[in-house]
Amino acid sequence: MSRDIKKLKKMLDKKGFDAVQCSQWRDSVRLEGRMDDWGQIVRAGRLAAKAGFKGVINDIELKGFTAPPIRQSSLNDAALENDRPDVLIIGGGVVGCAIARELSKYKLDILLLEKESDVAMHASSRNDGMIHPGIASKAGSLSGVLNVRGNHLYTELCQQLGVPFERYGNLILFSSHLFGKVAKPILSYRQKNLGIEGGKISLKRLREIEPNITDEAVGAFEYPSSGVLSPYKLTVALADNAIENGARFSMGTIVKSMRTKAGAITEVVTNRGTLRPRMVINAAGVFSDLIAEMANDRFFSIHPRKGECAILDKKKGPLLTRSMGLIGFSMLTSDTKGGGVMRTIDDNVLVGPDAYEQPLREDFSTHAENMDIILEKHLPLIKGFERADVITYFAGIRASTYEEEFIIEKSEYVNNLIHAAGIQSPGLAAAPAIAESIEEITLKAFFTAYGQKIKKKNNFNPKRRLAPDMAKLSLEEKQKVIKANPDYGIVVCRCEGISKGEIIAAVNSPLPARDVDAIKRRVRPGMGRCQGGFCTPLVMQIISQESGKKLEEINKNGQGSEILKGKL
Amino acid sequence: MDNKLINEYDLVVLGGGPAGLAAAVAAKENGARVMLIEREENLGGILKQCIHDGFGLVLFKERLTGTQYAERFLKKFYDLGIEHMTNAFLNSVQRLPEGGFEFVIQSAKGMVGLKSKTLVLACGCRERSARQVFIHGERPAGVFTAGTAQYLVNIMGQMPTKKCVILGSGDIGLIMARRLSLEGAQVEGVYEIQKSPAGLARNVSQCLDDFDIPLHLNSTVSKVFGQKRLEGVEVCKVDENYKPIKGSERFIECDALIVSVGLLPENEVAQSLGVEIDPATKGPYVDQELMTDIPGVFACGNALHVNDLVDYVSQSGHLAGQAAARYASGDENRIKVEYNSEDFLYVVPQYFDKNKEGEITLYWRSKADHRGKKVAIEVDGRAEKSKKYMRLLPSEMQSLTCTVKADVGQISLKMLDG
Repeated sequence: MSRDIKKLKKMLDKKGFDAVQCSQWRDSVRLEGRMDDWGQIVRAGRLAAKAGFKGVINDIELKGFTAPPIRQSSLNDAALENDRPDVLIIGGGVVGCAIARELSKYKLDILLLEKESDVAMHASSRNDGMIHPGIASKAGSLSGVLNVRGNHLYTELCQQLGVPFERYGNLILFSSHLFGKVAKPILSYRQKNLGIEGGKISLKRLREIEPNITDEAVGAFEYPSSGVLSPYKLTVALADNAIENGARFSMGTIVKSMRTKAGAITEVVTNRGTLRPRMVINAAGVFSDLIAEMANDRFFSIHPRKGECAILDKKKGPLLTRSMGLIGFSMLTSDTKGGGVMRTIDDNVLVGPDAYEQPLREDFSTHAENMDIILEKHLPLIKGFERADVITYFAGIRASTYEEEFIIEKSEYVNNLIHAAGIQSPGLAAAPAIAESIEEITLKAFFTAYGQKIKKKNNFNPKRRLAPDMAKLSLEEKQKVIKANPDYGIVVCRCEGISKGEIIAAVNSPLPARDVDAIKRRVRPGMGRCQGGFCTPLVMQIISQESGKKLEEINKNGQGSEILKGKL
Repeated sequence: MDNKLINEYDLVVLGGGPAGLAAAVAAKENGARVMLIEREENLGGILKQCIHDGFGLVLFKERLTGTQYAERFLKKFYDLGIEHMTNAFLNSVQRLPEGGFEFVIQSAKGMVGLKSKTLVLACGCRERSARQVFIHGERPAGVFTAGTAQYLVNIMGQMPTKKCVILGSGDIGLIMARRLSLEGAQVEGVYEIQKSPAGLARNVSQCLDDFDIPLHLNSTVSKVFGQKRLEGVEVCKVDENYKPIKGSERFIECDALIVSVGLLPENEVAQSLGVEIDPATKGPYVDQELMTDIPGVFACGNALHVNDLVDYVSQSGHLAGQAAARYASGDENRIKVEYNSEDFLYVVPQYFDKNKEGEITLYWRSKADHRGKKVAIEVDGRAEKSKKYMRLLPSEMQSLTCTVKADVGQISLKMLDG
């Protein structure tokens, strides 16, 4: 089928969606109506996505559901009034921050807006940190190509940014030889098409490389380029390096509306004033369709796909090296990878994620039933994992489109709007490549819209200035650091071995960390087995001393999450 | 590393709480050279934040506050002039092939290296977190363990809540119910998943009953609400398998959830040394003198198993300190079989209980190819058994058996010219 509304309507009617109305909007299809089941609404969107339109705008209402207000800071000032950046990036996730850093190579005034109190507060910290090899992507897909390119770029990028990164490799395990036989040609084709190293390995080799593997696995496909890093450390590092190279970041800043004139955005209204950017980049994650709407360019819809993960004590990390999942036939056609177990860059074990459709874009709650299923499904993959090893768990939301594909392009209708939207897994792996693509698109757009050729700076510094990471230093190096600054000798977080000096450096980093979770995202105190029981009060005191904020003002993750309720 | 600071101690005590202080004092009184390492700024461990009374009834027959109780041991500790480091964090500990241990410690003074003959683990315990009992829902500010809440109130003078629910009836939770009430907060209730309270009966009476705070048994917190700050919790009844009973859910508006759901011995250091851990206690396996399965490593206090009274913690510290001092002085029941490593590849077993009478058998291999040698077991310098060998080869295991009486001082295996 291709772009035939009547045919689509007929097909939807046949599948029982006769309450759904279809209409064409530009090159996209819009679905409208009212239904009482979110799963059915998503299914209608998926069916429409097969009809060959540019995008699916799914406006089917869920009966009895009102979307809760978007979380935002109560800041209300004129700090950005009449600000005129060359490039305005909306969204401080890994994609927005990677774009900011990439563009900070140029003679451009860059401003990034983030509605939360820090970068990486949504999907960019709420994921597994896996740099996928690309094997889960369909051959020839944009996300597949960018995944493989991004994966490749990470080695140098992480060196420049001082972000720990390991290529531990990935295993697709199977429990029936039949699956191995059926999957091989499909995976080999993807491998060849996308240029991914790896392939089927014997059970003997599997047991050699992963001695604690479940007896259920009878074989595996191995992809050595698969890597792992801390997604929030990476995002912070990209932001810090962008700032070091002149980019400006404004936290707690939400875009409320836009004004357009003659096919261009003229004004962007925020809680901190009205801006007049020359170019706008939409990297707003789960809200990217709503941002597009503000510029009258909403040709797609985000359906928030939620996932939950558990983290195990780092005592269990050494029981495995590679990320792995035991996969059945459904994986070959599914949009998600089915989850599994992996060793994180900090030697914990991550279990999950799962994937389920639900209408909330910012609901990060976890559920006992889901966690039980995840643990029952994946813990048996490695002998020695137990439920009692779980130290925490979290949820994240994927910004999926109905096309299940990234949208990386200049708007067809708005001259100074560029979308980096619909970025879900493997978005983290692809982020550096997405930034490269957006760089190219932005340069072209400046030329088309303004006839301007953007020049490179000659003083771009790709290397982030690093504070000492004590755990990574040799004895002699530690000694030197402590001699110069005794605060590096005082350990505040006993589980992760984080010193006072490291926390102070985080408070004063280029993108300053001013709340307890922001400190966690930079140097991890409270992420160990005691979950901050011992160190939280100490971290609060350090933030207070360094930032001049009162203790009562110190919060967990932004305004409204203050930890204390006043003095005795 | 500052090599000037490398010192050899009889004992390194890890942890300056009640167990560690008692161990250090006992060891010092027994003539040992002691170094105590404390990761916090001040000695005293968790007692520093225990301003309530009820400590010392067993040891001193007095009702002391936690800080008073700590003072008693600290006075002895300082009077004895025991060496110690605070704000000192153990980076690594290794067993030395020649016996004993080597430590690398991170402190504001730099990286410090230490050696000791024995190690006393007195690292205490940590609180099980809300995540470890699988609290679900959102993740706002306002979820505290009882110990963290106690630190905020008693050390920092700050209130973590105005109205809270307490999950778990562990002693710290009960103590905090009273403490927060006294400071003007409303404690809506204490919810305990078991059918009986986890804390001491006296705490239920003095901390809950006296303050009209309800204790809900067979109940738990099933969900947390609030995106930024906690706005409320859902509580429910549970069945005999601790599963929520449908329909029993109740929403409680509050600004904090305080969890007191158990303590876990901190034995990461023990595990890094390969000490075997008892899954029941979550602390090391020990003998009657609190020595673990690794010779020279002792464990005491809440690092060994979670105690209900601090008095018992001090007692176990005392016992471990004494035993470690004796072990370090070489005055112990176990004696090592001596042999010249140029003659023998190895001898098994390496140790004997010197108080045990009866037959002993040594299994050994010669280091090199020998002809016409005599090998003897000498007990306290006297050959108890000897045998002449036509030929000795490293590939062939040999054995010799003899009988020993109790209170042996020395056992050695010797190779002599035939």
